[in-house]
Amino acid sequence: MNQGIVFKLNGQPVSYTGSAADRLLDVLRQTYRLTGVKCGCNEGECGACSVLIDGHLANSCMVAMGRVENCEVTTIEGYSQTERFQVLEQAYAAVSAVQCGYCIPGMILASECVLARHPHPSETEIRLGLSGNLCRCTGYNAIVKAIQIAAEKGEGLW
Amino acid sequence: MMPISQSVIKKDHLAKACGQAMYVADYDTTQMLQGLILRSPHAHAKILSMTYPPLPEGYFTVDYRDVPGINEVHIVKDDTPVYADATVEYIGDPIMMLVGPDERELERLLAQIEVNYELLPAIIDVRDGDTAFFDYHFGKGDMDQAWAEADQIFEECFETGYQEQAYLEPQGLIADYNQGKITVRGSMQCPYYVHGALAKALGLTPDKVRVIQDVTGGGFGGKEDYPSILACQVAVAAYKAKGQPVRVIFGRREDMEFTSKRHPSRCTYKAAVKNGRVTALDADVIFNAGAYTTLSAVVLQRGIIAASGVYDIPALKVHGAAIKTNTVPNGAYRGFGAPQTFFAVEMLMEHIANALDEEPLAFKLRHMVRQGSVTSTGGRYHFPVPLPAMVDEVRKMSDFEQKRQVYARQQTGTTRRGIGISLWFHGAGFTGSGERDIIKAVTRLHKLADGRVEILASQSDIGQGIKTTLCKIVANELNLPLDQVSYDNPDTDRVPDSGPTVASRSLMTVGELLRRAAIRLRSQWQEGVEQTVEEHFKEPDFVIPFYIDKFQGDAYPTYAWGVCAVEVAVDTLTGVNEITGTWASFDVGTPIDLNIVIGQMEGGLLQGLGYASMEQLAADQKGRIRNHSFSDYIIPTAMDVPLMKVQLHVEAYPDGPYGAKGAGELPLVGAAPAYMSALEQALAGPINHIPFSAEDALKLIRQSRRA
Amino acid sequence: MVNGFSPATLQEALEIRARHSVTPYAGGTDLMINPDPDAVYLFVNHIPEMKQIEQRGDQLHLGAACTYTQLLEHPLTPAILKAAIDLIAAPAIRNEGTIGGNIANGSAKADSVLIFFVADASLKLNSQSAERIIPIRDFYRERKQLDLRPDELITEIILPTKWLDHYYYKKVGARKALAISRVVFAGLLTWQDDVIAHCATAFGAVSGVVLRCPELDALLIGKTRSEAQAAKAGYLAAFGDMIAPIQGRVSAEYRKEVCLNLLTDFLTSNGI
Repeated sequence: MNQGIVFKLNGQPVSYTGSAADRLLDVLRQTYRLTGVKCGCNEGECGACSVLIDGHLANSCMVAMGRVENCEVTTIEGYSQTERFQVLEQAYAAVSAVQCGYCIPGMILASECVLARHPHPSETEIRLGLSGNLCRCTGYNAIVKAIQIAAEKGEGLW
Repeated sequence: MMPISQSVIKKDHLAKACGQAMYVADYDTTQMLQGLILRSPHAHAKILSMTYPPLPEGYFTVDYRDVPGINEVHIVKDDTPVYADATVEYIGDPIMMLVGPDERELERLLAQIEVNYELLPAIIDVRDGDTAFFDYHFGKGDMDQAWAEADQIFEECFETGYQEQAYLEPQGLIADYNQGKITVRGSMQCPYYVHGALAKALGLTPDKVRVIQDVTGGGFGGKEDYPSILACQVAVAAYKAKGQPVRVIFGRREDMEFTSKRHPSRCTYKAAVKNGRVTALDADVIFNAGAYTTLSAVVLQRGIIAASGVYDIPALKVHGAAIKTNTVPNGAYRGFGAPQTFFAVEMLMEHIANALDEEPLAFKLRHMVRQGSVTSTGGRYHFPVPLPAMVDEVRKMSDFEQKRQVYARQQTGTTRRGIGISLWFHGAGFTGSGERDIIKAVTRLHKLADGRVEILASQSDIGQGIKTTLCKIVANELNLPLDQVSYDNPDTDRVPDSGPTVASRSLMTVGELLRRAAIRLRSQWQEGVEQTVEEHFKEPDFVIPFYIDKFQGDAYPTYAWGVCAVEVAVDTLTGVNEITGTWASFDVGTPIDLNIVIGQMEGGLLQGLGYASMEQLAADQKGRIRNHSFSDYIIPTAMDVPLMKVQLHVEAYPDGPYGAKGAGELPLVGAAPAYMSALEQALAGPINHIPFSAEDALKLIRQSRRA
Repeated sequence: MVNGFSPATLQEALEIRARHSVTPYAGGTDLMINPDPDAVYLFVNHIPEMKQIEQRGDQLHLGAACTYTQLLEHPLTPAILKAAIDLIAAPAIRNEGTIGGNIANGSAKADSVLIFFVADASLKLNSQSAERIIPIRDFYRERKQLDLRPDELITEIILPTKWLDHYYYKKVGARKALAISRVVFAGLLTWQDDVIAHCATAFGAVSGVVLRCPELDALLIGKTRSEAQAAKAGYLAAFGDMIAPIQGRVSAEYRKEVCLNLLTDFLTSNGI
């Protein structure tokens, strides 16, 4: 009997009845229509498909569905409902860190992980935290700056 | 800073930040068919026959026989077929498309298609090429005299490699044919280019063609001409599907392997020097065009017009050729031919200075053009050339002199340091008379009864922020709050053709048209009434008319300027270098939004640094692109250039909106030579090719050790 | 679940492994690059027995399903292993990727595997019926050829920690993060009473498997500084004969030159 793969998606319990070998990325985009999760390379090299699994950053193209059983998966759609997102989003806005936008949902989740680990991050800690998320537009400076602003404005949130 | 320069929250910021922005791959696909392209595995071959496997219901094939119009993609010269008919000209040349509902099934079926080829000789190395798609000559001054009187002659060949745009969103389009009308939407820079191509390939009148740009995840030139090709292919499939939309979204591999890239180049330069001054320059510029002409003509034109760099050299002879090879067609990439020639001329000037035992920067400054100088094409630098002031800014920021002196001393240990500087321009807007004779841009402002104003233009926001900056201009002239002015992604059914989103022209040219339209609307403003104003391009009066057949006149009305210093540290054990700092000053005229311009400058600069070093891409002996993934085509991460300081120097341009000039391409153009100059100092040896690898560095270390 | 098993204990996992044709899935970061859509996965990523980190005497026992991040943050992880992990890919990959998976992938470019080679680590392999412990050098027969039976799982890496404190580690990648090794080198050298008590070196990304030549490193063991200096040229020459790198995105010549440069620098940095 197939009970499906049970996990929490953006706070809601769900059960996925497809193959455990399916890519999390494809399932998020196709089955759950969470298209904020982008596909840039399908091989874990660009970070556009970043999601949080139990609060850790993961490339959803590198995750098979069976791995998320009983886990909590958060995509940008879920994260954007949080107060932390608002602080980050406003910080990104203040320095116009969003250009083409394709890397941004992943980049914001990577930013969350930087701040969760280092509420007062050094520039190197920020850059290390973003190092798996490619951006071809910005040269990264604005994104780094945005995280520094968020750390300051979001004092106490992380 | 002018008030207009003050940054605002970008129009598309929130939708992108929270993941709601709809890119073409994000539409629900349940009612769509998917297309997969069958591509040539051979660099050059005749197609003898094709056998299709029996197809399940709902699956069908599309090839050249299905093209209802002409089997040509309209770009500049229309030699690119929609689908190959008689021959295939490169590995990846599209032969047909298999269309159906399920992607895995499509892959299975595609593998069963049999094509019989007769192999033909293929030209892979540009040096073996015997067909010049384009061949240009121009010059000025008395070459013979300069040569005869020279104290010294220098000659050197410079090579540059491919560069892949590597936008994060791969190419993708959806086509739908309904009631005699084709609609194509998706990721693109130039909706009207796609529109023109579709009309020809489908044999439809313009009113039966509709093109809509979706949110586009980066372009950098890569979505200038390529979407026209893909659009024709998908549209023919939709035409055959009769009513069901067809979607093609490339994976990264297909995108990297088979879409256009920056032209690799070989530039052979000869310079005559008399009394420590370069008196003549002979530049032979060869671009590898790939298998079809696509945009090579215009890329080459911009490249060779920049052949003498920012230097005032009395006698000049320039030859440029775009050579056919049986490799992927090369096209537009930010900088459009100029990064290649700027690399050559900047390194040449460095090398001549070194040979004359003069500090390269001082040598360059002595040769620099200034306001009123004659351009390579006999035009004028009509406006002040702010390079000397910008050089001073960069010197100060980077502590250039001090570092240059320290690193010039004998270095020991396993770390060698160096610092270098480069100077360049980028001609603002289209080359030559294209704007006046071909594009003839039209824009409209549509005022609604409630006082809100909509911009109607065909510019694509591909990340550069044009949605925001155009709205800022109109809002400013109309004294409206920014949220009262809107600009949607262009839809050719709704907007006039204000030209493509290329050549750093959108803000300078279309922005100025909109500013003028807004002024007119303001003067005619009537409360509570719907109003429309229209504005047409007019060439500024001061421009010396340009003739492309002679390469004479003002190739550009004005120029954006760049100065950049790069500092490196090389590990002599591994040859790996680290950029320890980058400092740059850019003049793009008045920034219409400070954050946006800085973002363009930083992002472009990083692409230029990648171009010079880690971004290695090559075709193998068979002509196959080997680097087709992000693990194999290496672009910079957030860790690679941690210290990058950019500042703006404003030399306002009277015919751009509030003084704005072209911006987007500038920062990439001259970054490579600064980087290579720094490496030359660190390694104490000459560099004449990019990308320059750790392996190259180790070779140079070995050589200088022997010497 | 469809096409997958998610056992809660090692015992359960080994039963499934014995009975079904499954692909063990630890972190997935190699498997998912070009996944077989019809694969049946045995998810071992959360099996408690395979996630433990425990020091027993001179040996550190690392559960094969430990992720890089877990090791990076653990106080018992030796500095040399942290140095290597720090430069593996990027945070998202380190959060998922496991050391057992890195071993099972069989690549000679795997940076954590290099550390296990230089440390002469052993692997604990379990099946339902047996347990065996074999040196990692014996586990790798040749490129992508591993001594792993179809009913076995890699459950533990046993890392001797005695000689790990004095290390040299250098990775050459194409950029500063998110880089696959083009050459990677690790060396261990410990002086005791003015003689070399231990010397071990390993080279990654130069041949089908990690190159580890204890018989050459033995040339230096037991030597005083001056004896080692005298033996240096012969030692380097012996490695010069041994290193025959593969041609790839970088040339074989470059790989070899860098290997020897790093080996020389390793000696120099130890005063030899």
